[in-house]
Amino acid sequence: MSGKAFLVDTTKCSGCRACQVSCKQWNNLPGEKTTFFAGPEYTNPAELSAITFNHVKFFPVDRSNPGKPLWTIMHKKCYHCEEANCLRVCPESAISKIEGWIVIDQSRCIGCGACVNECVYKVPHVLDENMPLYGKEGTIKKDKSYKCHACMQNKRNVPLCAQHCPTGALTYGDRTALIKRALARVKKVSADYPHANLYGLEQFGGLRTLTILKDSPEKYGLPLVGKAIDMRRAEAIKDAYHLFAMFTFGLPSLKRVAYKISRSMIG
Amino acid sequence: MTNHWIDIKNSDVIFMIGSNAAENHPASFRWILKAIEERNAKLIVVDPRFTKSASMAHVWAPIRPGTDLAFLGGIINYALQNNLIQKEYVLEYTNASYLVNPGFKFNDGLFSGYDAGKRTYGDRKSWTYQMDARKIPKRDKSLKDPQCVYQLMKAHYSRYTVDMVEKVTGCPKDTFLKVAEVFCSTHKPNKVANFMYAMGITQHTVGTQNVRALAILQLLMGNMGLAGGGINALRGESNVQGSTDHALLFHIIPGYMPAPSAKDHPTLKAYNDTTPKTEDPMSVNWWSNRPKYLVSMLKAWYGDAATKKNDFCYDWLPKFSKPSPYIALFEDMMKGVMKGAFFMGTNPIVGGPNANRNAQAIEKLDWLVAVDLWETDSSIFWKRPGANPATIKTEVFMLPAASSVEKEGSVSNSGRWAQWRYKAVDAPGPASTRGKSDLDIVDTLFRMIRDLYRKEGGKFPDPILKSNWNYIADGEHEASPHLVAKEINGYTWPDRGQMKTFMDLKDDGSTACGNWIYCGSYPGSSKNLMARRNGDDASNNIGMYPEWAWCWPLNRRIIYNRAAVNRKGEPWDVDRWVVKWTGSKWKGDIVDGGPKAGPEAKNPFIMNNEGVGRLFSPGKALTDGPFTEHYEPMESPVPNLFNSQKVNPAAKIIDEVRGQFANIGQYPCVATSYRVVEHWQAGAMTRNLPWLNELVPDMFCEISPSLAAARGIKNGDRVAINNARATIKAYALVTERMQPLMINGKPVEMIGMIWHFGHGCAATGDACNQLTPSIGDANTMIPEFKAFLADIRKEA
Repeated sequence: MSGKAFLVDTTKCSGCRACQVSCKQWNNLPGEKTTFFAGPEYTNPAELSAITFNHVKFFPVDRSNPGKPLWTIMHKKCYHCEEANCLRVCPESAISKIEGWIVIDQSRCIGCGACVNECVYKVPHVLDENMPLYGKEGTIKKDKSYKCHACMQNKRNVPLCAQHCPTGALTYGDRTALIKRALARVKKVSADYPHANLYGLEQFGGLRTLTILKDSPEKYGLPLVGKAIDMRRAEAIKDAYHLFAMFTFGLPSLKRVAYKISRSMIG
Repeated sequence: MTNHWIDIKNSDVIFMIGSNAAENHPASFRWILKAIEERNAKLIVVDPRFTKSASMAHVWAPIRPGTDLAFLGGIINYALQNNLIQKEYVLEYTNASYLVNPGFKFNDGLFSGYDAGKRTYGDRKSWTYQMDARKIPKRDKSLKDPQCVYQLMKAHYSRYTVDMVEKVTGCPKDTFLKVAEVFCSTHKPNKVANFMYAMGITQHTVGTQNVRALAILQLLMGNMGLAGGGINALRGESNVQGSTDHALLFHIIPGYMPAPSAKDHPTLKAYNDTTPKTEDPMSVNWWSNRPKYLVSMLKAWYGDAATKKNDFCYDWLPKFSKPSPYIALFEDMMKGVMKGAFFMGTNPIVGGPNANRNAQAIEKLDWLVAVDLWETDSSIFWKRPGANPATIKTEVFMLPAASSVEKEGSVSNSGRWAQWRYKAVDAPGPASTRGKSDLDIVDTLFRMIRDLYRKEGGKFPDPILKSNWNYIADGEHEASPHLVAKEINGYTWPDRGQMKTFMDLKDDGSTACGNWIYCGSYPGSSKNLMARRNGDDASNNIGMYPEWAWCWPLNRRIIYNRAAVNRKGEPWDVDRWVVKWTGSKWKGDIVDGGPKAGPEAKNPFIMNNEGVGRLFSPGKALTDGPFTEHYEPMESPVPNLFNSQKVNPAAKIIDEVRGQFANIGQYPCVATSYRVVEHWQAGAMTRNLPWLNELVPDMFCEISPSLAAARGIKNGDRVAINNARATIKAYALVTERMQPLMINGKPVEMIGMIWHFGHGCAATGDACNQLTPSIGDANTMIPEFKAFLADIRKEA
């Protein structure tokens, strides 16, 4: 697997959220009207959404070692799986790879939610109509799925999130070189974090957003094993969906139901 | 900063105290992490809270707000008792060996000469050196004389034991000792620590002494002047260094010259009589040049009108009759002494102490001009909750300002680098109403006032009518930042050749210079060194990038760099040398104190008249003591265990607010204030931006799970925080990052608050500063924002 990648180093992240804001700036995304904080510590909003492609999550501080509390701050965006569920199940082939990055073509997207259902990382989102938007209204269309496209739809040499990271916690570059650097880094930080590891080497055929974690992936809600949905099964789900889609009258809400029924039938 | 941002990468130990740089100076962590990765550097963070910075640290030491001097005094004692000092440096480059006047005494928190009635130390005559017949301070280089600074300080700090540190600060012994051990490891000549500090150090009644303690430690370790060392004030705004350089503060005029006082400096001669003097041939005593800088400034301001005969119009220079710090200005406003005010990029009813009192003071103004990007909380003070617009007669003018990308000019960062910026776009809106640059606003205002004086006369028209004020280039219609920068740099008079260095400034009227420390920044009519963008490093390869922008003084990237070498001129650390002496000249950075004198000829601390670093600060340099001493904050929940003085005995307590300090026993929690990365200062620039408000939408406080449990508060609850000055509402963030500290055996809880919010802008919330007290540091009068008392309860 060659080409570019992101490397997230949680041991270097100070939680400034420049990535989260830069992404909204470059991609012209609305804010979300929030109250207080939506998650642990300073987390806001709660998760990735159709208007938030980069998200910083603050985990609660672990004080089990009283002399040295542990605070994990994690940057999350689309992992851009080499074998991506979303791409395999999209009934309209709206999702494709551009230079290895998984990109949704909103002009073809019908808002059926197949990608939303199949992403174990909960990355793509169809805009929630109840979400209170704040500024830049209208740039995100309803009934379309959105997520990080690694600035492929709004091209720049280095995605703005990585360019604006002040500490080097989020970098962008050649995947092979990043892996080499990351493995050396894991070795170095293992003195401070004995369970440190590099996440994303094997999951879903390899991820393009690699993450250096301070602890085991499960601690951060990341599956240790990630295997893409079987191709033939994906085709069967799509066939079933196309059958049901005839009765959805073009309504995205019914399309989402149709997808779920197809999915449960094929299993 | 004595050093600069990139130089942090050269440190072996990074000691962050009173700063949460991860929130407030996030880019600094690029260099901190580089030092950690490449040099195996250690990061120490001393902070009451487990902050984002603390989460990146090797050692985090929690202390109670306002106990920095107990903590730092403990490290000074640790270093002295264990002989962990850079002996050669201390002997040669500090006043450790200087003998102090036998009249100097210290007893139970008071230094000799205290006047309890006036709460001052008066003339401080006993805080002096013993002088020999040549008027040079006497020394004992064996450091054995009981009156030498070294012995006096050893005795003074012997009270700062590990036990006392723990009892007063609440920092566990082991943690304190770990900090002391890691920091003192840099006493070795080739090991270097830096201090990164911010408002957590300065905003106390002992703020200046807090910085002094850092200076003492860096001198003992031999860390001043070296790459990776120094004392680094992290400035809170992009150009606050520049505004201080250009005399933002009340006690100085441009270039850190003292502001003339009506009483002490009625004439130019009286002012110049206070020029620092020395008889010591080893001392450069740079301030002896001050008369040249003052006359050149007067020449820049008054031009042809300034002649030798009329003392260069010194009489026209405004002189103060009383100190006018922030708190006093608002008290004057309150009394109706001050009739009008300009708020330019300031938002006092969010950012000032005792904010409700400030708001009441603003109501007394006849007029207010507010210059900002948007309406600020202060410019719409009459709309605040509880105000009655019907009774407020203040006339308010709002002038839209251009933002940083909508105007051209220089910005001086914390590292003293003046960097030139260009205008990218016009301010939005039609030309007639769009935001103007501050320069354009001030220039237009001045010219209109001058026209009024011309037409109508006035009581004292000369300084206005004869001012050397002409910043609009031929054919232009707006003041040019280049013409201002050229005047700041200075030129010969009257032929206007740009000055190259302040060493050529004269006191005879043949040179004009707006600010001597910027002399050399614009040395040719089209040679703006601040605009340089050459990314090549210097021969010493330590990240100075000398042709990137320009740095005062004289593009010197690390000040006091004479201390980076021994008396032979050899660098203490050859691998990251700053300067070195070849036997006939200096290499590397621009050396301090002139290029001709070798390392044996002159002492390195050229701004002190004795030329060495001050472990003991003699004379009138400080109002509150030659050594540091722990006093409790004005509002503290515990007695002072070090002495029977409660608060700094030289801190001025204003009668008008004295009552607010009574009955503080009913507010049991130590409160402190701070910022988060998402909002900027008093919030007027950020609380209108959706992307930032999405991240931090509301006023919140941080409390420990134990305090929350005691008050029945859950995470996300609305709470009321109150003290004698106000009650404010906030959301409660209950977090393990906060904890009670054991102070002298009893737990003390803390309430941490952000101070970004106010009643104006898109995202609103109560201003934390309604709770902060009107009392300031004994020297600078910076308000004590960082330690006060309050209580908290769940909102019904």
